[in-house]
Amino acid sequence: MTNVQTYHRPSSLKDAWSLLSEKGKSAKLVGGGIDVALFAPPEVTTLIDLTELSQRSIELREGALVLGAGVTLTEMLESDVVADYLNGIVVHMLRQVASPLLRNVATLGGTLASTHPWSDVITLFLALDARVTQYAGEERTSSLADLLERRGTMDRAIITEVVLPAVATGTYASYEGFVRTEFDIAMLNCACRLTLNGSCSDVHIVFGGTPDIGHRAVAVEDALAGKTLSSEAIDAAAVIASESIPARDDVRASADYRRVLAGAGVRRCCQRIAQRVGE
Amino acid sequence: MTITLTINGLEKTFEIDPGEKLLEVLRREGYMSVKKGCGTGDCGACAILFNGRSVNSCLVFAAKADGGEILTVEGLATGEILHPVQTAFLAEGAVQCGYCTPGMVMTTVDLLTRNPDPTESEIREALSGNLCRCTGYVKQVRAVQRAAELMKDGGSHV
Repeated sequence: MTNVQTYHRPSSLKDAWSLLSEKGKSAKLVGGGIDVALFAPPEVTTLIDLTELSQRSIELREGALVLGAGVTLTEMLESDVVADYLNGIVVHMLRQVASPLLRNVATLGGTLASTHPWSDVITLFLALDARVTQYAGEERTSSLADLLERRGTMDRAIITEVVLPAVATGTYASYEGFVRTEFDIAMLNCACRLTLNGSCSDVHIVFGGTPDIGHRAVAVEDALAGKTLSSEAIDAAAVIASESIPARDDVRASADYRRVLAGAGVRRCCQRIAQRVGE
Repeated sequence: MTITLTINGLEKTFEIDPGEKLLEVLRREGYMSVKKGCGTGDCGACAILFNGRSVNSCLVFAAKADGGEILTVEGLATGEILHPVQTAFLAEGAVQCGYCTPGMVMTTVDLLTRNPDPTESEIREALSGNLCRCTGYVKQVRAVQRAAELMKDGGSHV
């Protein structure tokens, strides 16, 4: 049961924003609508559906992958442009998100705005330095990391576009999600992006579902920076990951188990990259 | 509020509550193949095609579907001739209690429309959002493989 009384499908960003700002907390934005359909807080009486805003483009712009907020996860998964970006890392991750029935509905904008701590998309997009454009009377662009620092306000502006920046030559990415069943929520997920020109630079390691939302693991990044991606360096990074991850217990996994997974995640991600470099 | 949907090829107009889901509207209007299972997008019993893609109708607002096309199991057969996917599910005995079957069938229609020759792994991934509590999924996978063969042959007969 919901208290929803009105459902709007505005045809312009300006109209959508006017409604959102006018209705305040009594309004919710609807991308795919999954989260709102599952649970609309009692104070929500107005839904603002963004379907008509035509934010469904996927394109490569000067090496950057530019994604409209309205694209579904399936549309991304099936896109050749997305598959071509960084050896298909986004497609690899999306295959592990929920089920096709849900991916057919879930939009990229909705997925980010929901700020679920276990989000596979958020963990990988943080590692890839995603930038997010929102509209709140005017457009503004911020890093996903900065937006997540203001997590409670994420759905108070309309996400219009997400950009994964162009990557330097020799850049690799890898992703690992630990689940019990096919489309379970991850007990922990781990994303790695680094540049290898002999040694590692620009290292990004992110853990999500710790059970908190994705955060960069600076100690692990520092352990890898400047090193060759040898098995010794990977082992050392895995140990630091296990020791430094801010893991806690919750219904999905214990903190101890998450620490073990963190080590395994870094090891697998780095080994996969090392293997690709050797091919 | 009023919405118009094209359901199984027929345009229909309904009065709905703004917070209603497609599942509730479709069942109220007599499309009883659309089953209510979990109501949370986990089981796939309510799967239908919305604008050509399989979705959990329990998680799609009916108002979101306004102007869209809906396909349910009721719209698959042509007269007395079953759709190849229905024929294959029958032929392979991929049915026990039958509650999950309509959702499985619709997900399969979506899969085979886009990928006429799926691998077993692709079939299992496609059906991963459709839970069956009676079986071990073996016969459903066989049914999808058989449906793929039937659709390539352009017929529904076994």
